[in-house]
Amino acid sequence: MMTQSKPTGFGNPWLQLGLSIACVAIYELLLKRGAAETANLSARWSWTGLTGLASIYVWVAIVFVILSLITWLYVLRYIPLSIAFPISQAVHVLVPLGSWFVLGENIVTMRWIGIALVSLGLAVVARPVARLEEEL
Amino acid sequence: MTPIAWIIVLVALLAAVGGQIFLKKSMQSSHGATGFRSRAVMIPFATGIALMTMQFFLNLGLLQRYDLSFIYPFQGLSVIIITFAAALTLREKLTLQLIAGSLLISLGVALVSLT
Repeated sequence: MMTQSKPTGFGNPWLQLGLSIACVAIYELLLKRGAAETANLSARWSWTGLTGLASIYVWVAIVFVILSLITWLYVLRYIPLSIAFPISQAVHVLVPLGSWFVLGENIVTMRWIGIALVSLGLAVVARPVARLEEEL
Repeated sequence: MTPIAWIIVLVALLAAVGGQIFLKKSMQSSHGATGFRSRAVMIPFATGIALMTMQFFLNLGLLQRYDLSFIYPFQGLSVIIITFAAALTLREKLTLQLIAGSLLISLGVALVSLT
């Protein structure tokens, strides 16, 4: 159920979905770094997370949050939420695989199983969409 | 994990789901003749952004206390919840394939994050 004919090129919503996912992967790593840096649990209002703003990593992360939001809003104009959101979870495959490739981090069996399940789920969700796109 | 932490996890999850639904509602309305400058776009947009901002800081607060591996499995749940919420509130078409795929992704995200 596409709401309107979709733009092509850089405006292609599937490309924008990919960019959005990349931005999320980047800001998640930055946020963890920033949160770890500012974990001052003695502050009374630290439950709000606002103490995180003391870290530069959190501010850079916020830039990527905004970029991911803009691209995501664009995606939502053209792709149903019940398709776009499950696909956006590809980030949970990309982040551990990226840490494995780039940082040489270890991946335990349980995580491999999770990566396989997410990938399988992505294929199941994306397959009818790919067919639909071909027909259009 | 204290009771307040569970409550915050739950509130953050609901805020994330609600935020997505409102943003989608807003963007759906943006195809109309008035474009982005109509109430039908701005009100759900502001609500969605407010919910997502709340969710952002609640998660940051949780991250200061617990490992990523403890907090993110809960986000896996949001996949299947959003799929059903989109069908209920936005009348998006649910297929068996979509439900099966979302369930696999939810379970997978939980497993990826659990370790």
